Amino acid sequence: MAGQRVIDGRDLLPPEPLELTLAALDTLESGEELLLLLHCEPHPLYAILKNNGYRYTSEQREDGTNAIRISKA
Amino acid sequence: MHPNLSFEQAPPISVPYRFFLTAPWFGVTAGLLLAWLGPDALESRWSPGALALSHLLTVGFMLQVMCGALLQFIPVATGGNVWRPRWVASLVHPIVAIAALCLAFGFALSQPLLIQIAVPLFAAGLGGFIAVVSFSLLRTPAHGMTIHVLRLALFGLAVTLILGIALASALGWQADGQASWSLVLISNVHAAWGLGAWALMLVIGVSYLVVPMFQLTPSYPAWLTRTVPFGILVAIGLWSLQLGVDGELVQSWLSVVALGGMLLAGLYAGTTLWLQALRRRRLTDITFVFWRGAMLALLGFVASWIALEVFPVLGEHPRAAIWLGMLALPGVFVSVISGMLYKIVPFLNWLHLQRLGGLKVLPPNIKQMLAEKPMRRQMRLHFASLVLLLGAVLWPPLTSLAGLSFAVSFLWLEWNLVGAVRRYIDFRSRALSDQVIDQTHADASSRVS
Repeated sequence: MAGQRVIDGRDLLPPEPLELTLAALDTLESGEELLLLLHCEPHPLYAILKNNGYRYTSEQREDGTNAIRISKA
Repeated sequence: MHPNLSFEQAPPISVPYRFFLTAPWFGVTAGLLLAWLGPDALESRWSPGALALSHLLTVGFMLQVMCGALLQFIPVATGGNVWRPRWVASLVHPIVAIAALCLAFGFALSQPLLIQIAVPLFAAGLGGFIAVVSFSLLRTPAHGMTIHVLRLALFGLAVTLILGIALASALGWQADGQASWSLVLISNVHAAWGLGAWALMLVIGVSYLVVPMFQLTPSYPAWLTRTVPFGILVAIGLWSLQLGVDGELVQSWLSVVALGGMLLAGLYAGTTLWLQALRRRRLTDITFVFWRGAMLALLGFVASWIALEVFPVLGEHPRAAIWLGMLALPGVFVSVISGMLYKIVPFLNWLHLQRLGGLKVLPPNIKQMLAEKPMRRQMRLHFASLVLLLGAVLWPPLTSLAGLSFAVSFLWLEWNLVGAVRRYIDFRSRALSDQVIDQTHADASSRVS
């Protein structure tokens, strides 16, 4: 794996986390992973990822944080 | 920008905006009607003016925004797909708006014909809306308490609609007062389902998501997210049994059941205020203050209801119900809805401008979609109007001033929302014309080469 970038959106006001994520997707390289941390499930982002050739997994941690791992499909 | 990204999940922006931009006009109408009718309108909840005003706010302002918001909220927040949202909106929006006007002016002018027109319009428009939205909520792959509570709210809306149709049919076709049921009893149950099981339930379900997200608070405690909505629904369900069961035994536990429901609503309001106090960033934006005002009004409603039960001399006063109505409608629901509109509209502008893709110029920042100062001034006028409306219940000479203030507050809300939509349209036009110019230059270059 080329590496991992992390966006911690838990203390950011919407749509800041989505803005940062979209900006990061523009420069995401093959094999690189983007880890997004949020308190909610970002359904609009999921739709964007599905429609644009990215794969993702979402896992809810014990503290309620959703950890979304994104990479190029 | 993100030229290759598709944003297909969100419905067209015209779907929610047609509801949002229509809604404040019902509030303007309500305020002007109150100013015109004066103190007589607030003499009792059964006065033609009071019935017209309450329905202009509930099936006018509130229902318009709630329908538009649900069509937007379900796909964006729950991942559910609403069947043909543009088509649904283009039918439901005018039908429900016309039905609301007919019902309100049927009450205000004591015209049964207008009420007769409203009945089939509500049955078709709102019934169709409930069917489409319920279907998408049942099929959504998402899970969590927000989804469950939204389903409960839709059930509450369906029961409210059925009871409302029964009431309006009785009033529209049996205007001589020979109705076979107790209209007062059905009206009470209709109001409980409409305000408690539909409107408050929707606010509760949406708040589980938007309060932590937009106000950066901790999440609602898991036990509370289950107990409050289901408890309120059970309380309203048991309280509604008075429609079918008669006798002193029923009367004796009605107050206990109602008290249980009220305390749950108070617990929800208190918890929301407590979570707001624990927010992780000391942001005090407009939406935050509107929510805080709404929750204080909800606590005021619960405290007033208990006081009116404890002191029957006060509770039996014809204006007691008007006092509760002022706290519930302008106090809780208009406040929370105004706060959410100021959050949703800039966000939708931003989201839909992102969809354009390939822009040379960045869309305005979300904070530039709607300036803070006019929103804050409108919010102050709204809360001042609320104080005047409550004052008018106690001191009737204030009524016309309160009505005018309320009308101007809604007019200002409309003005602010239109300003945000104009900013969206201006930027979209500029961005699209830039794209056309770029495309024309590219085509010309390729022809030359």
